[in-house]
Amino acid sequence: MSLDYVKFSSGFEKFMPKEYRDMVEHGPFGKKMSVSQMGSFKEILEEHPMCAGCAMTLFIRLAMIAFPNPEDTITVGTAGCGRLAISQAAIPFVYGNYGDQNGVASGLSRGLRLRFGDKPKDVVVMAGDGGTADIGFQQVLHSWFRKERFTTIMLDNEVYGNTGGQESGMTNRGAVLKMAPLGKKFEKMDMLQMAKVAGCAYVATVVPNNPRRVESVIKKAVLIAREVGSTYIQAYTSCNIEYAIPTDKVMEDAKNVENDRYQFSEYITDEAKQFLTERYGYKEFLPKPAAPGLSKA
Amino acid sequence: MYLVAHIDVEICASKSCKLCTQYCPEANTIQYSEEMGKEKGFKYGSAYVAVDRCKGCAQCVWVCDNMAKNNAIKMIMIDQLPMAALTDNITYSDKSTIAVLASPAGG
Ligand SMILES: Cc1ncc(C[n+]2csc(CCOP(=O)(O)OP(=O)(O)O)c2C)c(N)n1
Ligand code: SF4
Ligand code: SF4
Ligand code: SF4
Repeated sequence: MSLDYVKFSSGFEKFMPKEYRDMVEHGPFGKKMSVSQMGSFKEILEEHPMCAGCAMTLFIRLAMIAFPNPEDTITVGTAGCGRLAISQAAIPFVYGNYGDQNGVASGLSRGLRLRFGDKPKDVVVMAGDGGTADIGFQQVLHSWFRKERFTTIMLDNEVYGNTGGQESGMTNRGAVLKMAPLGKKFEKMDMLQMAKVAGCAYVATVVPNNPRRVESVIKKAVLIAREVGSTYIQAYTSCNIEYAIPTDKVMEDAKNVENDRYQFSEYITDEAKQFLTERYGYKEFLPKPAAPGLSKA
Repeated sequence: MYLVAHIDVEICASKSCKLCTQYCPEANTIQYSEEMGKEKGFKYGSAYVAVDRCKGCAQCVWVCDNMAKNNAIKMIMIDQLPMAALTDNITYSDKSTIAVLASPAGG
């Protein structure tokens, strides 16, 4: 968990695979990389077995580029499709039992603070909608009520993708799935509102068809969690298998769903605004200068 | 045989918007090269596909056709592609990459 672990042990350089050498020499560690440089540097994420064209894969790829200090980041995951990719990356990944990710992350983030003091070590949970809103629900909510300082990202594909299409609390009412053939009878859970009620300092929704926005919300969420409190991102990451979306239409679907029911939204507390402004030089929360002429009217 | 994405350098380099590099779900699969465009007399570089990592989803085709409006990417059977970029032959430089093209069939 530092730049020290992303280098060659002396004498071993020539034995390392190309991907490892590229990572050491042209990876993002210790540099600031952004989505606009994609295709020109070696990414943290490697090859993995997630399905072709999966929007969740794209989101995970973007999220890893957005981590403000990848060399000081640990991801935590749980059962579900996402872990198949998150685990194939050049940063440490912690995996426990299904649904315990926010409990594990609470202990991890506290332990890192004890061990490293003020030096930021970022903990980021990425789990499916089933893992977050159903099986892990109790641990997720309690971690927020305790204001645990790490980021929770829900990879919301609105289904249990990894196990063949059961409905989750995040599935929309009426949706018919392979293992919910009569259609879901209840409304989609409002996890955004719950996150706010439970005291999260930052809550945002995103869709991966806007890479720069994904980058921006993830950076803010991770930075705010360093000191202010819990942060939550809910990302629409469609399952093209269970919702039978042709892979070349996955981004069209993302766009339609974004316009329909997954509009970008961002909630941020005043304390978090102040923190980003003072500590990290964010300008967007500064009071806007009054437009000239307006005050006279 | 299976389909992979193929980017026409001349069509891409005339626009070179890099959108597809941001929308391919797979990491380091659509790469960017300054040289590829400049070799053909364009001011900017071109995107290209490391075919050994491409899963054939065609999302990049949709992005180039509908977002970039440039129609530079086609899906093509890998054995119909005489020369292609492969991860082993890609080197990184400061703001770009250099790919030495080879036969994807390993010939
Ligand atoms: C305790 C436990 N129960 C059940 C499972 C089986 N299981 C693995 S993944 C999964 C569903 C995952 O759904 P979700 O969290 O929505 O993630 P997705 O696969 O859709 O990304 C289930 C039920 C398990 N691994 N552990
Ligand atoms: S099953 Fe669905 S969510 Fe899982 S990897 Fe495949 S497309 Fe993605
Ligand atoms: S989207 Fe099309 S034009 Fe833009 S970089 Fe990719 S191939 Fe080139
Ligand atoms: S077909 Fe899919 S995996 Fe292949 S380059 Fe295009 S977007 Fe990437």
